[in-house]
Amino acid sequence: MKECKIIIMGFGSVGQGIANAISLKKEMINEKYGVQLKVVAVADSSTSAICQDGLDEKLLIDIKKSEGKLSAYPDCGNNMSGIDVLDAVEYDLLMEATPTNIETAEPALSLTLKAFEQGKDVVTSNKGHLAIKFSEVIQAAEENGVEFKYEASVGGAMPIINFTRETLSSCGIKSIIGILNGTTNYILSRMTSEGSSYDITLRESQELGIAETDPTQDVEGIDAACKTVILANSLLGIDATYDDVTVEGISSITSQAIDLAKKDGYLIKLIAEVSQDNLKVSPRLVKKGSSYDVNGTLNMATIKTDLAGDITVMGLGAGSLETASAMLTDVISILKNKY
Amino acid sequence: MRLNLVLELLDVPGQLVSVLEPISGLGANLVTVIHKRDSKNENGKIPVQLTLEGEQESLNRVIERFEELNITIIEKDGVINKELVSTILIGHIVDKDVRDTTDKINSLDGVYVVGFDIKLDGEDKSTALINLETDYGKKQFAFDEIAKIADEKGLLMINEV
Repeated sequence: MKECKIIIMGFGSVGQGIANAISLKKEMINEKYGVQLKVVAVADSSTSAICQDGLDEKLLIDIKKSEGKLSAYPDCGNNMSGIDVLDAVEYDLLMEATPTNIETAEPALSLTLKAFEQGKDVVTSNKGHLAIKFSEVIQAAEENGVEFKYEASVGGAMPIINFTRETLSSCGIKSIIGILNGTTNYILSRMTSEGSSYDITLRESQELGIAETDPTQDVEGIDAACKTVILANSLLGIDATYDDVTVEGISSITSQAIDLAKKDGYLIKLIAEVSQDNLKVSPRLVKKGSSYDVNGTLNMATIKTDLAGDITVMGLGAGSLETASAMLTDVISILKNKY
Repeated sequence: MRLNLVLELLDVPGQLVSVLEPISGLGANLVTVIHKRDSKNENGKIPVQLTLEGEQESLNRVIERFEELNITIIEKDGVINKELVSTILIGHIVDKDVRDTTDKINSLDGVYVVGFDIKLDGEDKSTALINLETDYGKKQFAFDEIAKIADEKGLLMINEV
């Protein structure tokens, strides 16, 4: 029986979603693709659980939830963390779900490059290293002859990177315009339906856990700008980094602006535009009832192609199991190719 | 009577034929066609000038047919078709001389302010919705120029997608 030994780095919402998704789907994957998935190590920011014979995915989640750290995992828990874990156990594939860092790209960058050097495939949901050093990371993967997949980094569960590359492979891509941040879309949707101010709506979203305690990355458009860079590089072949994107967030949007827009048949959305002439994240007016009229935490993107015209995709842009689904799909495509 | 039209066609084979073909069938005569494949406009399309001759009724039928075929008519007898667009400005609009802002927009070639709706929020920033009429194909030019004005005055501009 073929086996794929997996390390999960980062055990927050997405990391736990991965463990959950593997636990739910490993039997199906075994039946359909003849490969047994085995989680051999999981690390959070300061501890880890490592076992060459495989860890129990459900138990990992329970321990993390009840004890707050993975070192409490029976027999296999320890205080090792970060890059050392990659040397502590034999593995085939790294699933990297550490928090995005737009300043240094760490720890994702070091972890990913180290895994490449060890000849291991990597699946990530992280945006930092891709937004700052896209070409460097891709080149390192190519030089080491390993697979590197990052569907989950843009749009969560919404298919866009693999979809455009594979399903639309006959088409040239002219531009991609979309809503790539669920938190801001939620805030703007609520401001539109409730007529409430930005500050009140933000606070409400924080209470609901939709916006983070420090909402800067989302509301100032930083998160959407990272995704813009990833799409520009991966789908339009533009050699861009984060600094090439013009970014304007939603914190200056007034309820009056939303009212005025509404009166004229428009909605205000935080729109990312990816084209050869324009890399831009900014609040824009969209027609009510158009394909951009999606509410709540949903993401969407319209891909403008030369042969197929406009194609629009939509889906949940965040969420534990949703993001993990995109990562597991990446794992399956690696299994299909290599195993 | 005669009718001068400027149409906009995609740069793909068969486009010109599909436009010319219905004309005689609808009782109009084609007097001139000017079709320069190498001069694309800002939409990446090719403008085509036509002069037609016929009864008013026949000419109307031709125009109806073009509309059914989703062919864009940029100009009819020298009158340029307009596009309606909107934009929102947020900031200290009144303090930054609202009259000067609209005057500057109106002075742009082919761009006209046709609606202006402002909401004030006490001492705070105000918000204005501006409806514009632009000559066909001038939309992006209008947005770019207004962005410069907004930038000068420290206003946030929200444009259509």
